[in-house]
Parts: sequence; C-alpha cells; structure tokens
Amino acid sequence: MTTITFSPASEPAELSDKVSGAWAFILIECATFSAYFIVYMLYRMHDPATFAEAQTHLSPTFGLVNTLILLASSWQVARSVHSARAGRYDVAWRQAVLTVALGLAFVVSKLSEWGFEIQRGYTFETNDFFAFYFFLTGIHVVHVLLGFVFMGVALYKLHERDVHSEALEIAGIYWHMVDFLWVVIFTLLYVVR
Amino acid sequence: MSKAIEGHLFRVWLALSGITLLSYWLGSESAGGGALVSYAALLIVAIKVRVIASEFMEARRASKKLQLAMDAWLFVLLAALTAIYTFKLDMPAV
Repeated sequence: MTTITFSPASEPAELSDKVSGAWAFILIECATFSAYFIVYMLYRMHDPATFAEAQTHLSPTFGLVNTLILLASSWQVARSVHSARAGRYDVAWRQAVLTVALGLAFVVSKLSEWGFEIQRGYTFETNDFFAFYFFLTGIHVVHVLLGFVFMGVALYKLHERDVHSEALEIAGIYWHMVDFLWVVIFTLLYVVR
Repeated sequence: MSKAIEGHLFRVWLALSGITLLSYWLGSESAGGGALVSYAALLIVAIKVRVIASEFMEARRASKKLQLAMDAWLFVLLAALTAIYTFKLDMPAV
C-alpha cells in the first residue's frame, strides 16, 4: 500500500498547473484594468479642468483608509498562505478569516464613501470624472466580492484539512491582485492632479 | 511559518503602509499639486505594485515567463499613463 504523506514546505519548488492558470487569469485581469486606466487618463487629459475640480470633492481620507485596509488584508492572506505551508492550519484559518473581515471592512468603507458622495449630489451622471469614479471603484468592489468566493473555498479547504488543496494559494494570488489594482485606482483618482 | 518569514511579511506591510501615507500627502493641498507630484505618485504606485507582486504574491516563485509578463505589464501600463500625462494625449473624438 502506498502512503501519501504531506510535508509542508515554505518554498515550493514549482508551480502546479492550477496555480499557473491562476496567474494567467491574473494577467488577463491586469490587461483589462489597464484598458480602463488608460481610457481614464485619456479622458482626464481631454478635460483636465473638470477632472481637477471634481477630484477636490473626493475625500482623500476615505481613499487612504481603503488602501490601508486592503494592504492589511493582503498581509494577512500572505501570512495565512505561509502558515498553511508550515502545516499550521488553525493559524492559517484564523488569518484567512481576518483577511475576509478586512475585505468586508473595505466594502463597508467603500459603500460609506459612495453614500457620502451621493448625499452631496455627486453621482454617476455628474460629469466624466464621477462616471469614472463610480465605474472604477464599482468594478473593483465586484472583484473584492469575487475574492470572497475564492477565500470562502480556501476557508472550507482549510477547515477540512485538505492538505493537497491549492485553494488558499490561488485565493491569495487573486486577493493580492485586488489589492494592487486598488493601489493604482487610489493613485489615479485621489492623487494624480 | 518561520519567524524570518513572519518578520519579512511584517516589514513589507509596514513599508507599503508607510509609502501609502506618502501618496496620501502627495494628494493633499500641502504638497502643492502639479506635474511633479503626479510623476512622484506614478513612480510610487509602480514601486508598490512591484513590491506586492514580488513579496506578497511571490511572483519570484512563478515561472520566468509569468514573472516577465507581470513586469512587462507594469512597465507598459506606467509608461502609457506617463506618456498620456506628459504629452497631454486625449480621447479622440467619437
């Protein structure tokens, strides 16, 4: 009888087909978002005065808090992946739960920000800047929600002690992508003048 | 997870959070706005994305082709954004 044993390693030598596939998916997502970013910048340069004026109505503090929350969540999922590789599944599970909690905090913060802007009369139809603002942040939140699905599968696999599962590795890669796409959105919407 | 990895991830997170505060300051009125601030912000975002990709996503562990593709994507995106900003390229009329 063959016994299959799992020996956790902190640095796996080679990526599996599934994880490589996840990376390919990430690159497609990056290309798609790049198109959004480039079109945003082209529109911005078409009417810089309107964009610059509209930008002053955003709350940079919301942008800062959003970014810090997502960076913290990325940190937690990175820790979770390493904990799982070391065979510490209880710790990995708690860190993954914390990742999801921070993701929820991001969504709540984003909903609050949208409510804040809409209450002051700034909507999708106000001007091109706000159309891009709601589109870019909205499509990003959709990706955060999809990240919850990936993390949900990872949490289930951790709970089941499925030591051969790569769900957490894949969820981690996806979650980091959601993080760095937000970093670009934050810079374009809140910082670049 | 070893203490070395734990410490490394903590330092990466701390550095990313710190550089985010710098971005926040650049976006504030006290930074004065202007093109220089925007170029600095674009440079910072390139560094942040590269750090997240290499240290958190572990792009270094990916195949060379994927790592190259990731770096190429970041370079092309930032080059395009910088060129549009510098040369004031705008949306063609439709």
